[in-house]
Amino acid sequence: MSENEQGTQGAAISVTGARKVYKVFPQTLRVAVDDVSISVPQGAIHGLLGPNGAGKTTTLKMLLGLVRPTAGTFSVFGVDSRSRAGRAHLGFLPEQPYFPPQLSAAQAMRLYARLSGVPEREIATRTGELLEQVGLEGQQRTLLAAFSRGMLQRLGIAQAILSRPSVVILDEPASGLDPLGQRDVRNLMLKLRDEGATVLLSSHQLSEVEAVCDRVSIMSRGCVAAEGAISDLLSVAGRTTMRASGLPGGLPAALAPLAADAVSFDGVWIFSVDDGAVRRAVDAVDDAGGSVLHVEPKRETLEDYFTRMLSRDDGKVA
Amino acid sequence: MLRRLTAIAGAVFLDAIKRKVVYAVLFFAVILAFSAPSLPSYGAGVDVGVYREVALSLTFAAALVLALALSANRIPSEVERRTVYNVIAKPVSRWEYVVGTWIGIAVVMAAVIAAFTAVDQLVGLVRYGDPMWRLWQGALAIWLETGVLTAFAVAVSALSGAVVVTVATLTFAFIGHARQPVLASAPGFPAWLYPSLDSFNIINPVAHGAGVGVTYVAVMALVFAGWVVALLTLGSLGFARRDL
Repeated sequence: MSENEQGTQGAAISVTGARKVYKVFPQTLRVAVDDVSISVPQGAIHGLLGPNGAGKTTTLKMLLGLVRPTAGTFSVFGVDSRSRAGRAHLGFLPEQPYFPPQLSAAQAMRLYARLSGVPEREIATRTGELLEQVGLEGQQRTLLAAFSRGMLQRLGIAQAILSRPSVVILDEPASGLDPLGQRDVRNLMLKLRDEGATVLLSSHQLSEVEAVCDRVSIMSRGCVAAEGAISDLLSVAGRTTMRASGLPGGLPAALAPLAADAVSFDGVWIFSVDDGAVRRAVDAVDDAGGSVLHVEPKRETLEDYFTRMLSRDDGKVA
Repeated sequence: MLRRLTAIAGAVFLDAIKRKVVYAVLFFAVILAFSAPSLPSYGAGVDVGVYREVALSLTFAAALVLALALSANRIPSEVERRTVYNVIAKPVSRWEYVVGTWIGIAVVMAAVIAAFTAVDQLVGLVRYGDPMWRLWQGALAIWLETGVLTAFAVAVSALSGAVVVTVATLTFAFIGHARQPVLASAPGFPAWLYPSLDSFNIINPVAHGAGVGVTYVAVMALVFAGWVVALLTLGSLGFARRDL
């Protein structure tokens, strides 16, 4: 059994060999997604990153049955996610969601609740709970034509989790939201994970992804360019970051040749050393009368990693 | 299944009855209904029949305009604005979306045609002292025909845009009512292949005769059901293969 097959066993979301080729008039073929495989274990928040046109949304649409794949298999908890039975597990927030403008918020929620199979007697209660949870309390009777962009986004989130789905797919959930709303969305994703739901998050907001995701897949030109735990992807092999204080004269002479990227702020020095030089660096700080405050494997920011990844010519990384 | 169909149909109904076009068409239809008796001086004894004919013709024309307005752009706009994602991503079959949409529009059309007919009846009663109950037979036939035309429009709109839908539906309506002359000019053409909407045209017997019998109404209902099932099946099959 291959590593990929082992990884997809018992996965909440499994996409294997996804491919989508569009026929563009008159006879041109455009490959939007090429051999994409993603496996997300139950209870995880998985980020899907990539620039515009990388194939993220097309992959999500194939998973949801909105777009017919050219090739590949798509499942949630072992059930074909494109079937009605598969979609019963799913909640979906499309990018920049829009709703019938002549309906009120309560009417729209009632529609989606009935389509999702929420029992009739629970619809009113659930609608009230969710609209309050996403910050739309008191807006039940407001026509959606009068909703702002941010309000529509919040309603989109509410309808996505209406039926308490075990898998929630969010396409740019923070789009159109103010910082407070973005924080609420992050907290909501963490709450969903705590309740056992699996979240697949497609986002341009790297800080959001870094804050909540356990693992990420980075897509570029229709392929998965990198995949893994954020901590693994961002760790810089062979380097350790240290923080030290009590060095008013600057870095001691014994430490200076070992340290790189050194900066000082409010009397605290931050620098990195080779993993093999950590012991010598600690001794150098001690000998100079300083204190070592923190030692950890060096990480780069997701933004730096993302930029570096996408600037590669081939766009493919193991 | 029924719950999902009624949910979609209900949303289409709620959305449609809040659209200005419904009330604009109703407004002008009422004005025309009130002005019909003041049209030319009919010969003695025929004025009631002419009024009934004009009333039913106006009802059909208004219903056709409204059916096109409600159905031609319904699915295309939902796809373009992506409101369809919130429906299709739920455990809903695509055919349920197509059929639910048609049911919602058909219910709106039933309400509007009933309103037209009630106004026609009221004007007839006031002007001629005749309650004209037979108008409801004509109204039923008009609703059945607009139901078929709406099914055609919904089926085409599952694959195409509003302009194509409107032109195709008007062509379908025209061809459907030109059966006799076309078949007469093409003797070898198999008649059973030709789409006919003529069976729904009972304006003449309703306006100037004793209406149609129960058997004929049953035939109309059967023709209606056959057309609607065939068209919505084709529309659903097309929509199922469409990338959204």
